Amino acid sequence: MEETEKPVEMEVEVQDAESEDIADSFLCCVCLELLYKPVVLSCGHISCFWCVHKSMSWAHESHCPICRHPYIHFPSICKMLHCLLIKMYPDAYKMREIQILEEEKSTRTFSPQFDALVCHGTEEAKVDGSSQSCTTSTQCGSSLQAVSSRDVAIQEENAPQVKLNENSKQISRSDVLCVSCKQLLFRPIVLNCGHVYCESCLIVPADEKLKCQVCQSLHPGELPNVCLELNHFLEEQFPEEYAMKRCAAQLREKTLHSESSKAYVHGTHKDEDRKSLWSGKVHIGVGCDYCGMVPIIGDRYRCLDCIEKIGFDLCGDCYNSRSKLPGRFNQQHKPEHIFQLMRPNPEHNFMWRLRTSILSFSPDARNETAPNASSPGPIPPTEVPEGSELELSLPFQFEADADEDSSETEAI
Amino acid sequence: MIDFGRVQKELQECSKDIEASGIKVTPKGDNLTRLLGTIPGPTGTPYEGGTFQIDITLPDAYPFQPPKMQFATKVWHPNISSQSGAICLDILKDQWSPALTLKTALLSVQALLSAPEPNDPQDAVVAQQYHKDYQTFVSTARYWTEAFAKTSSLGVEEKVKQLVEMGFPEPIVRSALEAVGGDENLALERLCSS
Repeated sequence: MEETEKPVEMEVEVQDAESEDIADSFLCCVCLELLYKPVVLSCGHISCFWCVHKSMSWAHESHCPICRHPYIHFPSICKMLHCLLIKMYPDAYKMREIQILEEEKSTRTFSPQFDALVCHGTEEAKVDGSSQSCTTSTQCGSSLQAVSSRDVAIQEENAPQVKLNENSKQISRSDVLCVSCKQLLFRPIVLNCGHVYCESCLIVPADEKLKCQVCQSLHPGELPNVCLELNHFLEEQFPEEYAMKRCAAQLREKTLHSESSKAYVHGTHKDEDRKSLWSGKVHIGVGCDYCGMVPIIGDRYRCLDCIEKIGFDLCGDCYNSRSKLPGRFNQQHKPEHIFQLMRPNPEHNFMWRLRTSILSFSPDARNETAPNASSPGPIPPTEVPEGSELELSLPFQFEADADEDSSETEAI
Repeated sequence: MIDFGRVQKELQECSKDIEASGIKVTPKGDNLTRLLGTIPGPTGTPYEGGTFQIDITLPDAYPFQPPKMQFATKVWHPNISSQSGAICLDILKDQWSPALTLKTALLSVQALLSAPEPNDPQDAVVAQQYHKDYQTFVSTARYWTEAFAKTSSLGVEEKVKQLVEMGFPEPIVRSALEAVGGDENLALERLCSS
C-alpha cells in the first residue's frame, strides 16, 4: 500500500483525491470510486451502501452486481472496513463523505452516520461497535450539522490532522481483529449485521440460526462466503502471520476431517424454502429496517411516529424480537414509537410491477413511490377482504387482477 | 441522474488499453449521454477486418439501467437487425448488472459477433438464412463487412481522387472525408446529401 503524500491543505473543492493511490480491491464495482460506507453482501462482494441500495430490486430478490448471487437482505454497513478505509485513505474518504452528503441532502434520505470517535477511539469502542453512533435523540438535521461542523474543525486543524494521517498509514492488527477470537482475522466473513468473524470462529449450531455474538442479531439466510477482497488484503498486509494461520487451519481441518464433521457448512440453512416465502404476502418496495429484508415478505409493521420520508418498517420476525438497533437510513426511531400491522397493498404491488416490468424507471421514481407505499393512508378494507390478500408468486403473474386494475392502468 | 463521474472514469479506463482491446468509446458532443462505441470485427469470423460503430445512449438511471446500444454500421447477423441495428443481447436487457461497464458491454457485443445465437434472433431473415444456407449467410455477412464496415484499404489520396472523379470539387471532398473520419462511403453519402 504505497501512498504518495497528500498536500497539506485539504480543499473541499478538490475533485479528485488521486494522490492517494487506491488499491483496486477497495474500489466499488458500481461507482468505480473508493468504497464509501462499505456493505459486504452474503456472497462476499463489497460495494458502497448507496450503490447496493440503488442496485436492489425492491420487487423481488436482488442479485449481487458482480456474481449475480441472489439475496433478500440488505446487510448493514461493515464498520470495521469503514474504519479501515478511513485510516488508509483519509483524504479520499473525506472527499467521498462530502460528496455523498451532498447527494443525501438533495434526496433528504441519509445513510447511517458514524461518529468519528468510533474509529479513532479505544479498543472497546471498536469491539462493541454495535451501537450505531448517530444518537437517536438528536434530530437528523442537527446531527448532520454536527458532521459538517466537524469537517470544518478538522480543516482548521490541518497540522494535527496530517500527523494523524502519517501515523495511520500503518494498519495495525488491532484494526482487523475478529470480534470473537480477538485475533487477526483469518478468512473473514461479514455477517448481515456488519460484524466480521474468522471463518473458523463461526460455528452454526445445527437447526439453529446463526447469531452475532456482538449485537445478538440473528443472521438471516445461509452462512456468507469469505470476503475475498478483505482476505487478500490481510494476506498482503500480514504475510507471516497469515501463513502461520493457514498452516494451523490446515492441521485443524485434518483432525476435523477424521471426525468427519465440519464445524461449519456453507448453506446449511435452507433459506426457509425461499419459494414458499415468495408465494406469501409481499410488501413491494418496503424493506425491514433491522434485518434489511427487501422486500418484506410476511407481516410488516410500520412505525406511525417516524416522520422521515423513507419511513420505518419492520418484518414480523424483527418486530417480535424487539431489537433496539437504529434504522438503516438514520431515522430517529425510538423504542416507544407505535407500530401498525400493514397489509400488503395489492393495488400498489400491481402498479409497482407494471412499472418495473413495462416502463423503464429510475431510482428517483423508486424513491418517490416508496413513501406512498408506506404512507399510513387508506388500506381499503372493503377492497381487501380478510384473508384474501393477493397471493403473489414470482415472476410476474397478474392475470387474476389485471382485469380489476385495468381502469387504474389506463389512468396512468 | 446519470452518474457522470462514473462515465468519465469509464472513458478514461477504456482509452488506457485501446491498443489491446481495439474498443473505443467517444462522446458525441458535449454531454455524456450520447456516445459512440467502436469495436473491431473478431478474427476468424465474416466480420474480420471490419470496424463497427455502435450508437450508445445512456438512460437517466445509468449504471442501474443498461445503456441503449444500436449498431450504426450495417451488419448481417442473426441477433442484430439488418434494418435498424438493434441488438438482441441479454446483458443489454434484463441481465444487465451495474458492475458492467460500457467497455465490458461492447466486449460482449463483440463476442456476440463471433458467437451468433440464431435460435433467439433479432432479424428473422438473417436467422433463417443462417439455418438454411450457412454458406450464403457467411458470404453475405462478409460482403456487408466489406461494403459497410471497412474504413477502406485505399489511401487518402486515392479516395480523394475517386470522389473527385465523380464530379465533386476537391476541397469539399477533403473536408467531407475529414468529417467522417476517412470513410469514402460515408463521405459520398455526405456529399450527396449536402
